[in-house]
Amino acid sequence: MRLKSGLKNSHCICRPAETICVRPAGFLKMTRYLIKKLNAFALLLFLVSISVFSVLFVLPGDPAQIMLGINATPETLANLRRELGLDQPFWTQYLTWMANLLTGKGSRSLNYDMPVYDLILSCMAVTGPMALMAMIFAVIISLPLGIYAARHQNRPADVTVMFFTQLGLATPEFWLGILLILLLSVNLGWFAAGGFPGWRADFWGSLKALLLPAFALGVIRASILTRLTRSSMLEVLREDYVRTAWAKGLRERTVIYVHALRNALIPVLTIMGLQLGQLLAGAIIIENVYYLPGLGRLVFNAIGQRDLPVVRDVVLFMAVAVVVVNFIVDLTYATVDPRIRLE
Amino acid sequence: MKKSMIVLLAVALMVPVQWALADTPQKGGNLIVCKPAEPPGLDPTANTAAAIDRVVYSNIYEGLIKVNRNGEFIPGLATTWSVSANGKIYTFSLRKGVTFHNGEPFNSQVAKWNLERNAAPTTKNAHPEFFRGIEKIETPDDVTLVVTLKDVDALFIAHMAEGDAVMLPMKGYENAASGPVGTGPFKFVQWVRGDRVEMVRNDKYWNPALPYLDKVTYKFIGDVSAQIAALKAGDIDVIGYIAAPEQASEMGKDQRFKVFAGTTTGEVIMSTNNKKKPFDNKLVRQAMAFAIDRKAVINLVMFGYGTPIGSHWSPSTPYYKDLTGKFAYNPKKAKELLAQAGYPNGFEATIKLPAIYSYSRRAGEVITDMLGQVGIKLKIEVVEWGYWLDRIFKQKDYDLTMIGHVEAWDIGIYAKPDYYFQYDSKEFRDAYSAALKASNEKEKAQWFGRCQEIIADDAVNGYLFSAPSLPVMKAGVMNWWENYPTIALDATEVWIKK
Repeated sequence: MRLKSGLKNSHCICRPAETICVRPAGFLKMTRYLIKKLNAFALLLFLVSISVFSVLFVLPGDPAQIMLGINATPETLANLRRELGLDQPFWTQYLTWMANLLTGKGSRSLNYDMPVYDLILSCMAVTGPMALMAMIFAVIISLPLGIYAARHQNRPADVTVMFFTQLGLATPEFWLGILLILLLSVNLGWFAAGGFPGWRADFWGSLKALLLPAFALGVIRASILTRLTRSSMLEVLREDYVRTAWAKGLRERTVIYVHALRNALIPVLTIMGLQLGQLLAGAIIIENVYYLPGLGRLVFNAIGQRDLPVVRDVVLFMAVAVVVVNFIVDLTYATVDPRIRLE
Repeated sequence: MKKSMIVLLAVALMVPVQWALADTPQKGGNLIVCKPAEPPGLDPTANTAAAIDRVVYSNIYEGLIKVNRNGEFIPGLATTWSVSANGKIYTFSLRKGVTFHNGEPFNSQVAKWNLERNAAPTTKNAHPEFFRGIEKIETPDDVTLVVTLKDVDALFIAHMAEGDAVMLPMKGYENAASGPVGTGPFKFVQWVRGDRVEMVRNDKYWNPALPYLDKVTYKFIGDVSAQIAALKAGDIDVIGYIAAPEQASEMGKDQRFKVFAGTTTGEVIMSTNNKKKPFDNKLVRQAMAFAIDRKAVINLVMFGYGTPIGSHWSPSTPYYKDLTGKFAYNPKKAKELLAQAGYPNGFEATIKLPAIYSYSRRAGEVITDMLGQVGIKLKIEVVEWGYWLDRIFKQKDYDLTMIGHVEAWDIGIYAKPDYYFQYDSKEFRDAYSAALKASNEKEKAQWFGRCQEIIADDAVNGYLFSAPSLPVMKAGVMNWWENYPTIALDATEVWIKK
């Protein structure tokens, strides 16, 4: 990905985003781009799989011993190790894992006695919506605030916003999560203190259950995004083309939202993509505070319990999720700024 | 002064009596019980993890024998049992008309099959030795089970009352880890992985009066603050077994909740590597025992909850011998012993603490300070649980560590020289095998008492305290267990006051 024309010298561009796929040349380019991406993706997955497998292989702690506890007899241990295939050499174990993944057979959790694939699905039903909600919170807080602060640079409003974002950056999310529980659940009784009823059992209850954790996650991320939006906005507002827009006598709303914001959004989008990937992979602490059966808690417990099939598959899944999110972000660049072409 | 004490005592004794009279159990209701650790599977015959027993034992699964709230062995699926004069033949009368939740009948053939399955060479049972002492099993009729042992085993009944010996159905047993089928008062409904296990009343339970509850849910919340918040917000009814001690006392002051401070079968000990210098020197170990102020440890670590112990035996287990006076806190004596052992200026060592247990980390810090006062400088290393099992438990690569041993009747681990304490004493092994072969109560008390004494004298490990139980619940939850002489969170007789 690179920018085709220099941004610095460009003028305001208001034409609609071109869709590259409709033209044959664009289509070819797109295919080439996708193939290149897919190759890189496969290589990345291979490297991730090898490294996660090796790390877990050398990590002290025998899954069979952890499962059976400290009073198990050596004979029972040996039986279980054989059954789990833990007595096999490194490559046999790795290849079995890969073969099971590629043939769609998948692995089975040692502790939960069910396919890891099903576990990931059920956890994603919690973590996925929570991450999205958190991002929505982050965006609806940060964009208006960031723009507002940029428009009022160095004035009291700006300083106040910056103060609160600094506070947000310094606040650990679990602490904010606990504060929200104390205030809204324990004292006011408006929300449950945690837990997740399940989408099918209680749709609105489930949505409500994710509201507080998503808010706690979102506010912290909003602090980063607000600062980023502000600085990015300030930079764009100093551009020649914006001055031209002002000079043309365009209304403030048009200048800010139509001309400046589009360009200012690029770095913000990049960070949002990273944040979303991070939310999918790492809401471990907040999921523990709200005891949500999400992906983070799954992998956290699986590491402690040495439920190796779960750890391996989830890590691999997280890698895929992060790559996919980043890919989507790449695609949105082109929508936000049509001058950017996929290459 | 004395008079007022008597009045107080009388009032204290009367209050529970009045409560008992005023409260007749009511049927119905859902109970949500919080449990910190999620079990690794739901089959207690394939895993010793206490977390499994705490969910399914006595609720879904039952064995021939149960343990009541006082630690006594009471009828489970066996109504009576008798022992032959030579102590080797046990005759069990089984309960009639019992069926498993899937409709399979329970009878003597099923019981025989279960006992044999646990002893088989391919067994996944973590304690096959409980069953390996059986020479033969006869089933003269459907409700009589005659078990002949190879040798006298004083702990046979105790072992038959543990989770490892629950009865599974002959057809529905394969999926026991994810879909348990038992004979208990509650039927398994579902296990939402990472979240909860649900069970409902078994309408065909052999005791028609029980259970009282319609539904019980075991919810897994690891974070201690989240547990308390969930209880306060009304999302759960009971924090079963143990709540964070620093918060329990505060919860006790709140009218809406009640806190029980009871006993368990667990002993928290400073495990010591008896083969490693300088801990191979008995004088050094005894010096450490004198340097530990158990009362202070309990106050600092458990906020006063817990009972000091002097050996590897919990006060709630029968044949307990109080040996706490043997090494009463005496730092001066500790220094003398250290000098006698050739360490007048003390020495340096490392204590490795498993990160998952907060009591262990705290106790490690307190002990480090206490031993430091007599010249033993400890370096603290906090280690992850998998690492602990591998390096400390398996490879015995440690000086000192801190851990709770939760099983009752587990003093036999001192008879294994390759156990991670690396304690090798013929005297103990002889005493233990004499205890196992004891045929009457008096002999059992004598020999199990002797076992406790020998390891206390040798100061094999630092014996600190018996882990308290500290369940916290809504005031309306009735009949919850206060003491835990067995590893279970048994909801059979629990009811909710409306």
